[in-house]
Amino acid sequence: MSSITISNLRKIYGRSAAVDGLSLEIPGATVFGLLGPNGAGKTTTFKCMLGLARPTSGEIRYDGKILTPSMFERIAYVPERSVLYDWMTVEEHVEMNRRAFASFSSARAFELLATFNVEKHKRARALSKGMRTAVMVALAFAQDAEILVLDEPTGGLDPINQRHVLSLMINEAAKGRSIIFSSHQIGQVERAAEQIAVIDRGRVVLQGLVDDLKGDRKIVEGIFPDTAYTLDGIASDARVARVDRTERIVRILVTAGADEIAARLSASGAMGVRILDLNLEDIFLYSVSPGTATADIVAKGSSS
Amino acid sequence: MPAVLTVDPRSGVPIYLQIVEQIKRSVALGVLQNGEQLPTVKQLALDLTVNPNTVARAYRDLEREQVIETSPGRGSFVRDGGPAESPRVAAEIGADALDVALREAKSVGLGRSEVRGLFETALARWFGDNEAITE
Repeated sequence: MSSITISNLRKIYGRSAAVDGLSLEIPGATVFGLLGPNGAGKTTTFKCMLGLARPTSGEIRYDGKILTPSMFERIAYVPERSVLYDWMTVEEHVEMNRRAFASFSSARAFELLATFNVEKHKRARALSKGMRTAVMVALAFAQDAEILVLDEPTGGLDPINQRHVLSLMINEAAKGRSIIFSSHQIGQVERAAEQIAVIDRGRVVLQGLVDDLKGDRKIVEGIFPDTAYTLDGIASDARVARVDRTERIVRILVTAGADEIAARLSASGAMGVRILDLNLEDIFLYSVSPGTATADIVAKGSSS
Repeated sequence: MPAVLTVDPRSGVPIYLQIVEQIKRSVALGVLQNGEQLPTVKQLALDLTVNPNTVARAYRDLEREQVIETSPGRGSFVRDGGPAESPRVAAEIGADALDVALREAKSVGLGRSEVRGLFETALARWFGDNEAITE
């Protein structure tokens, strides 16, 4: 239901490609998280999905169909930067959305605004960044859309209101709606998203179920008695994504088969072999190119 | 029921596994009793603020392991197959914990007899010294 297929999407601005051959299959009736460093192409992808930017090439299909204006009603969007009219009150924005979308519920919008403690008589220019985000979120969720595209929907919100947004997303997913969201707060994605994709330099570099990625991706660590050791072909195993050696210590990033790789490492003479879990932040940092990951910058800085 | 369940999404342990392990533990400890109803998938997802499909996956796993059973339209319940489920589930939890400890002991190079010695010492500490009691 309401699955989205993005095929080979490219969007070129001037001479640089913001999105560069991105393909993604987003299933319906769940929460899908999009992760990526700044400038990776997340917002551009969202804009292409909503018809706000025209793809240079490639296509996007909703349940197999190309986006047409008649489908706008079914898709709600929270942009990265809130688009509110400064001189209009919150209440007037609700009225504007009621006129724009047949399925929009003003009662629901006011209920949500009250949850976020937004005063409906305030003009948009008097709202803080977080409150502006809350208004955009309330308007989107009151639209009763089948698909919600949320670009940083917790920006500027306090932890309580962030949790409200996650609960709203979970509630909609339980009703069979499809939610696609991006956030730099990986902890939120880890919580609410069933599946994720990591975008780097306009391409998908990793995709999967959060729980499967955590279940499969492990660090296998072992310590050799001296520095004269060989890994007996472990490094060339297809499931080994990376091998880090620091004198006698070997750390191997595996994408599957951690138990087997650990056994092979023991067999080749390593002591204290253990398997370490990775959380989504670790998995994210390992998946993006070294130039963009902070961890590597820090690691390089400290080792030199 | 939700009060005894918490998940740590930042952990490297998949969330569905955390839910599976905690429900098993609750069954083993009798916090959840034979035939007791579990929250709906949606309710537990909202209580824990995690994805509903993740909770559904945990329930499917628990069903496969015969800890719970789901009847369409009625909900999910702790399995009620005669004798209390808790001893069986408790044994599984114990076996899993021992497995982790033995793997670690083996990985640092301990042999069978050394591990047995350590095991006897630990056993005496936690369960009392049998010989001392019989004296």
